[in-house]
Amino acid sequence: MARRTRAFFFVGLLSFVVACANDDDGAAGHDHSKMPVDAAAVMGQPDRPIAGPQGGVGQFVVECPFSHALSDDPIVYPGDEDASHLHTFFGNVAADADAQLQDLLEQPTTCEQQLDTASYWAPALLDEGELITPEKSVAYYRAGLGVDPTTVVAFPAGLMMIAGDPMATIPQPVSVVAWSCGAGGLREELPPVCPPTRGLRLDVTFPDCWDGKNLDVAGHRKHMHYSSSGKCPSSHPVSVPQLIFAVTYPVTGDASQLQLASGSLMTGHADFINAWDQEKLQQEVELCIHRNIVCGVTSGRSSG
Amino acid sequence: MNRSVRKFCGVIILAGVIASCGGSDSSPATEAPVTEAPATDAPATEGVLNVPADYPTIQGAVDAAVEGDLILIAPGTYSEAVQVTTNNIIIRGLDRNTVILDGNFELDNGIRVVGANGVALENMTAMNYTKNGFFWTGVTGYRGDYLTAWRNGDYGVYVFDSVGGVIDNSYGGGSPDAGVYVGECYPCDSLIRNFVSEHNGLGYSGTNAGGNLVITGSIFRNNRAGIVPNSGSYELCYPQRKTTIIGNLVYSNNQADTPAIDVAILAMGNGILSAGGVQNIIERNRVWDHNKTGIGLVPFLEDDPNDEMPEKSAWDMSCADSKKLTPVQPGGGILWDSQDNTVRNNVLEDNRRADIAVGSAGTDLWTLGNCFEGNTYTTSAPLNLEKLAPCGTPLSKDTGDWTAGDLQVITWLADQATAPPSVDWKTATLPEMPVFDSMPDAATAPGVVASATPPVVDLDAITVPDKIS
Repeated sequence: MARRTRAFFFVGLLSFVVACANDDDGAAGHDHSKMPVDAAAVMGQPDRPIAGPQGGVGQFVVECPFSHALSDDPIVYPGDEDASHLHTFFGNVAADADAQLQDLLEQPTTCEQQLDTASYWAPALLDEGELITPEKSVAYYRAGLGVDPTTVVAFPAGLMMIAGDPMATIPQPVSVVAWSCGAGGLREELPPVCPPTRGLRLDVTFPDCWDGKNLDVAGHRKHMHYSSSGKCPSSHPVSVPQLIFAVTYPVTGDASQLQLASGSLMTGHADFINAWDQEKLQQEVELCIHRNIVCGVTSGRSSG
Repeated sequence: MNRSVRKFCGVIILAGVIASCGGSDSSPATEAPVTEAPATDAPATEGVLNVPADYPTIQGAVDAAVEGDLILIAPGTYSEAVQVTTNNIIIRGLDRNTVILDGNFELDNGIRVVGANGVALENMTAMNYTKNGFFWTGVTGYRGDYLTAWRNGDYGVYVFDSVGGVIDNSYGGGSPDAGVYVGECYPCDSLIRNFVSEHNGLGYSGTNAGGNLVITGSIFRNNRAGIVPNSGSYELCYPQRKTTIIGNLVYSNNQADTPAIDVAILAMGNGILSAGGVQNIIERNRVWDHNKTGIGLVPFLEDDPNDEMPEKSAWDMSCADSKKLTPVQPGGGILWDSQDNTVRNNVLEDNRRADIAVGSAGTDLWTLGNCFEGNTYTTSAPLNLEKLAPCGTPLSKDTGDWTAGDLQVITWLADQATAPPSVDWKTATLPEMPVFDSMPDAATAPGVVASATPPVVDLDAITVPDKIS
């Protein structure tokens, strides 16, 4: 046990060195030893990128405009204001470093589904250090690929999840973190050149298997896992909805010179605290996911 | 739940025995002898639940209802988002104008029918919902009758991935998308009739919908754009095909102050606009007073699609079958041309770019198979369109000059930059809400479950409607 801990520390230290070499403007102080290096080794990844036309599998969808930007991270640096890189928050307007579940419940939300008082956040997209205010976000909730939808249960209240690797130094698998243009079909490792009618979008796919016990763990990963071949591993036996969180920016054309507050454009990630009105979340899971009904689609007709 | 079990539940209720027959998965609670219960298509009022007399909330009554039940709602305002998952129930207001479901800009849908077949919604108003007034998804068999949808954030009346139904004698106003919508079905086996759609982004939108889908006897006015069937691979069951748009009044769809999604802004100023639709029949409508076209057939450029366009040979494929295919990323934009549409015997005037029009983004117009005949009109784009593209014979480039008076639809994309922006649906100025005809005998008419076979309409008997004052 001790030997393994030393190995993790050593690897963490290594990534600290590597990441600092790549440190960009906007990336505020990181305690890198808190971040696992190889998220895929811990959590797996989806069998393939999830894209394609909507309307084929049961889902519910929530559109949440941008709420606020803070250098807070309620999951990684709870209670510690200004401790993280800049994040853009969507949904719950009260999300900040101090927010616990009870501080979030029944607060106002930017989400058009007023009972979705969850908090969603992603690293700020920056243009030479300046915040690019996101246009909107969309949260898609579906069963994982090939997962029997009748086995899916709602996230427990207060569940905390991170998806994607804020310290990636090579492109992440597009099945976990991808860039697209609006709600279109591309899934790229780096931002594509988007046409005038479709803004750049960051798509982050969350794990859909829960260990059934922990709302969060040290490192914020190991309580979750991605399903594979439609099954959750025995270590994480509980099927929860697969959340895909997508943030659209008013960015078209060449975006290669932009940065994320977490570092390069390869460091895409997103965070989620389940502070939904839990009864409404359960209802949506039962009506839409279990019964495999499309309860809503995000309009591909709007730009972004 | 299979049909024989459903009948058995009905019998139990008639016998006055309290049985646990709620929902679509239950089985009978007793072993009473079975006699034949009425078939689904016949009037079948098994029981009546009164709101608020028997149940204080509509949802309470819906949760208690069993198949065949009629829920009667007394006048009043109900701040509920009702979910329906029970097959074959009828939810009816006693008075259309004073039974009001009010979402207070917080709740999502007035009544959402989630995968429940045969559900009829009648004679009530839904307003101020962030999504839709009345919404069916994933159903076979639906009916909306004497419904008013007012100031809702997506659609007024929204039917998605559903077949077999009718929307009759209803109204949709003040939505950024469409007042009424049927999408993702083929064949839809659906009828939209006697609908008034105004002050929306789109009067009607039907993405990837068609096949025995008839829109008739309706009014589409004062929207940004009137009737806009359209194709796109962001939802399934493309292309949009085989909708019959017949005997409607479509006028003054130039409204700059409506809520509007982007496509409505792009389509503004058109009466009936097929955006990449195929094999539609647009006939005997009266269309007037549009800044762009009265009836226009144009392409839809999907610059970041989710799949390739189906070959023409696949246009016969049912929605159910097409859902089984695996999408293939085309690796570039796709251009849905409007093709093989028939525009016939319409009466058009004062459509200031062109009364009737066809446009492309490069494809030769004579290869698209759209034909125009018997229309009463003054202007067309290209010029002499009925001579260029008559019905009944294959199109030819030799019938005349296809370039003279070209629609130049590409320029519409540039128009978007200066087009009036959307208006927030929550605060948009709308005309005073009309008082509508209520359903006759709402208190006493038996409840009829929604049939999966829409009413038959004698299309041949339809004439071009007169303007109304």
